[in-house]
Amino acid sequence: MNLNEEYSTLIEIARKTGDPIKSDEAHVIVHANNILASKDVPGLVIDAEETEYGIRATFTVKAGFVLKKPVHLCFGHLGKEGKQVIESKIVLEDGAKAKFYSHCIFPNAIEFLHAMEGDIVVGKGADMTYEEVHVHGPEGKIEVRPVTRVIVNEKGRYVSNFALIEGRVGILSLDVDVDVIGRLGSAEITSKIYGKYDDQCSVKDVIRLSGENSSGLAKARVVLKDHSFGKFYGEVQGAAEGAKGHVDCTEVVQGYAKAEAVPVVSVIHPGAEITHEAAIGKIANEKLWGLMAKGLSENEAIDVIVSGLLR
Amino acid sequence: MTEAPLLYLDDITVSRENGKKLLDKVTIKVGHGEITGVLGRNGAGKTTLAYTIMGLPSYKPDSGRIFFEGGDITGLSITERARLGITLAWQYPARYEGITVAEYLRLSRRDATKRELEEALDFIQMEAFYLDRFVDKALSGGERKRLELASVYLMRPKLAILDEPDSGVDMLAIGDVVRLFKRLADFGSSVLVITHRDDIASACDRAYLLCNGKVMLEGQPVAVKQYYMSLCGPCSDPLLASEVTSNESK
Repeated sequence: MNLNEEYSTLIEIARKTGDPIKSDEAHVIVHANNILASKDVPGLVIDAEETEYGIRATFTVKAGFVLKKPVHLCFGHLGKEGKQVIESKIVLEDGAKAKFYSHCIFPNAIEFLHAMEGDIVVGKGADMTYEEVHVHGPEGKIEVRPVTRVIVNEKGRYVSNFALIEGRVGILSLDVDVDVIGRLGSAEITSKIYGKYDDQCSVKDVIRLSGENSSGLAKARVVLKDHSFGKFYGEVQGAAEGAKGHVDCTEVVQGYAKAEAVPVVSVIHPGAEITHEAAIGKIANEKLWGLMAKGLSENEAIDVIVSGLLR
Repeated sequence: MTEAPLLYLDDITVSRENGKKLLDKVTIKVGHGEITGVLGRNGAGKTTLAYTIMGLPSYKPDSGRIFFEGGDITGLSITERARLGITLAWQYPARYEGITVAEYLRLSRRDATKRELEEALDFIQMEAFYLDRFVDKALSGGERKRLELASVYLMRPKLAILDEPDSGVDMLAIGDVVRLFKRLADFGSSVLVITHRDDIASACDRAYLLCNGKVMLEGQPVAVKQYYMSLCGPCSDPLLASEVTSNESK
């Protein structure tokens, strides 16, 4: 497959994830360690280079710039085996606003490692949304290791949504660590995973709230079936006056799947308040019966409930 | 030849695993296009009756049969009963994360137009903007209850079982609940309304009084209502329960 075919295949798959990459929007398209395309827009500086197994890139949204359209990052590989390592740094300078949409596309991977090491800095009053959607094939055992470190400054806002619900998960080790150091800063991390076969899904979300009146939410929705295994570790630490946080985890188990949830709420400042909720187990009967009383079969009812949870 | 009732519970007994009888030889009929009330105090077995008719797994009869349109449905699942035209508006409807009100309503009628969805919401006094809201914590218990009634309205089943339709529904007056029964009946649906409110029972064509899992009285709603108001106390009170029994045997 030549570079043009790789490019158009990745773009076509990304289109199906619901937020297509448009030619007039900022983007970086990477296959293996080849940067196939890169486009910046006013207010966004992209500095990217190819490395042995992937790329290293810095994205800077200049102070005060509001990017009205998303910045698309497409990292993919169309082969069956290999390795891709993405090192990225995203900086939103003070007052900037942007949405980054990361498409991670591995439709044919069987023995593959996809590692992402990301550093994100959200400046004062800046607002960043980060969406990461994975598309994997129905077979194979890809290993996915995204590690993200985030710092949120005064009045900054960081929202991230990670979704791995298409195809097999393989082995996932998601690790997000956020420090909300600024007064009135906030962070919301949501992870949605659908484990099947013997997938191994590990999600670790940690938010430290050291800014006065800062807030944080760590939320996970994990659905496991067959012989898959899922573990969610969600920790929110309140370390400042007025800090408010919440850990919210729902893990639904079907078949022979197993799940663990470890919600950790810790407070090291008397003026902080952290709460949590966790529900783990099979789909509640009343939800199933409620839909079956409208004529849905049990399997149809499960599909409706699961697709809602993972939405 | 007399037409068979739409629903006929013939001598139904349902027990817990410990042997305690939740329904004891209950016989109830619901006619075509008829609004039937089941009146009783808390703990009388009203919700058990609703679950038994709907076919919930833990509420399978120990004895007796359930007939719908003349056919024996005792062994059918919830889905099979729903596909025959039976549905239940739950007393405490479940939450569904990630499903919008519009999507939820379309589970009752897949081809419903947006206008029909809005009409169903309007009927139970919910604004059209609710269509985009999620059926989760964003809706209060009362709003989910209204939505459940809208869902039944849209479904137009042959038999709608309404379990305490007014409970937790703020601002929805008894008159509005009764209007819902009548409209369902206009569509050709039969309604089995389960309630502890005598004024709701008054609006029915026929009523049953349930006490301690037994049908104590059947007949005109006015008579059943008077009996209920004058003699029926909490079902946990054995003296009052025995008084009702002795009165019935007179």
